[in-house]
Amino acid sequence: MTLPSTPFNPATLPDNDNVPGNHYAYCRKLDGQLFMQTGRMIAYYPAPGSAGIRFEPLSSATITGFVAERFSAPLYTRDWVVASGAGHLLLGDRGYDINSYTLEEGNLTLRASNLLAFDSTLELKQSIVPGFLTLIGTGTFLASSSGPVIFAEPPIRVDPQALVGWADCPSPSHHFDARWMTGFLGMAGGVLGMVSGEERQFDFTGAGTVLLQSSEHAVDDPHLLKQLESQVNTLAMSGLTRLQSVIQSRLSAEQRR
Amino acid sequence: MAFEQINPKVVSSAVAPGREVLSRRGSMLAYTGDVGFSPVHTGPGGIGGLAGRAVAGEHVSMMVAQGSGTVYYGFAGLYVTIIELDGTAALSVEADRLVAHDAALQSTVVFLGEGGGLRGMVRGAVSGQGLFTTQLHGVGSVAVMSHGGTIAVPVRSGEPTTVDPQAYVGHVGSVEAKVSLNASWRDAVGRGSGEAVQLKMSGSGTVYVQASEQKIR
Repeated sequence: MTLPSTPFNPATLPDNDNVPGNHYAYCRKLDGQLFMQTGRMIAYYPAPGSAGIRFEPLSSATITGFVAERFSAPLYTRDWVVASGAGHLLLGDRGYDINSYTLEEGNLTLRASNLLAFDSTLELKQSIVPGFLTLIGTGTFLASSSGPVIFAEPPIRVDPQALVGWADCPSPSHHFDARWMTGFLGMAGGVLGMVSGEERQFDFTGAGTVLLQSSEHAVDDPHLLKQLESQVNTLAMSGLTRLQSVIQSRLSAEQRR
Repeated sequence: MAFEQINPKVVSSAVAPGREVLSRRGSMLAYTGDVGFSPVHTGPGGIGGLAGRAVAGEHVSMMVAQGSGTVYYGFAGLYVTIIELDGTAALSVEADRLVAHDAALQSTVVFLGEGGGLRGMVRGAVSGQGLFTTQLHGVGSVAVMSHGGTIAVPVRSGEPTTVDPQAYVGHVGSVEAKVSLNASWRDAVGRGSGEAVQLKMSGSGTVYVQASEQKIR
């Protein structure tokens, strides 16, 4: 790799594009407000003569009213900040490819960990599918993917790990592969409560676009935990005792290893 | 061509009756059409082959895609390379590097290296491969994964090619791999180049090398 002959500065950085020759970093020209996932900012230049860029938590008193209107995903509030001011903002995410998308009076649902930032003109809501967030309205957003994103049209069935998101089509349903389940060992596995995960797919139907990536490394998903936590409230006494015993047995199994 | 490269990390394959595709379990990303997946338990050679595989550590759970449609394959965000086999030469590859291949290809587990013995053992130990490797014969396509993509390096007779064991992915053709110990007293005192153990490939064919010294987990 050859180094650029001159380092970048605010004048040579692109206004709203990937950093030249680098899919993994994106430069966003900020003038106003932008919702951003924490930990995705790698550098920034305040615009000359401006007050610079401020990063405020969503709970900050100065922006609460504005946030309440735009951000209705209570599980994720701690992972997001609002960047306001003027300047150039450089974003990156685990060495994933970063792309900018424009939404016009549309809706698009994305894996929560793959959404980096979105315009304050868009509205964010929690999807019914755990771990996914829905953007509604008009504006641009930044998303990351392991390798380039593949756009596919329904009908298509997708491995849950390979799903980046979907636009305009109805939310997916689960599809269970009959051939897998009825196979000799599949049946034995079913009896033993052993599921490989491969027999379960997301089934997309209707008109729209599905976004795919090569499957991710398994990472601890803090959002999943939050989702589960939030659903514990809906359980009755019997459900709670059952859950407790499940967790107990899992814990003792982990400790024995 | 049976497989199509969608992007550096994803390949797609058409599946039709009589044109099944074998793949590593968990490598299916998506599919269109009416395709079903079922686990494959016995490798080639029936139970004996399976036992051989288990002993060899060359056992990676595979599944077969049947029906008609298009399937997308990829694994853990690793790079995927398509290798076309024309039937004249076999591909030797570590089983856990296989993403998918045409079901028409014959796969066998072979003992590595002539004579085996200490040399083979050393080679297995240094390349992390164990003493056995998977060989694919016939006409068809194979999708192999690597860190950062593969480079095809030609091996010509009389002109041996040497590769780092950790960067070795697989090879096609009549190629013999030998471990060469290039160690000196420097290695013994921990001041070596870190490249003391090398794989010397001789014969004629192609060796595939990845741009990293990381193994597949």
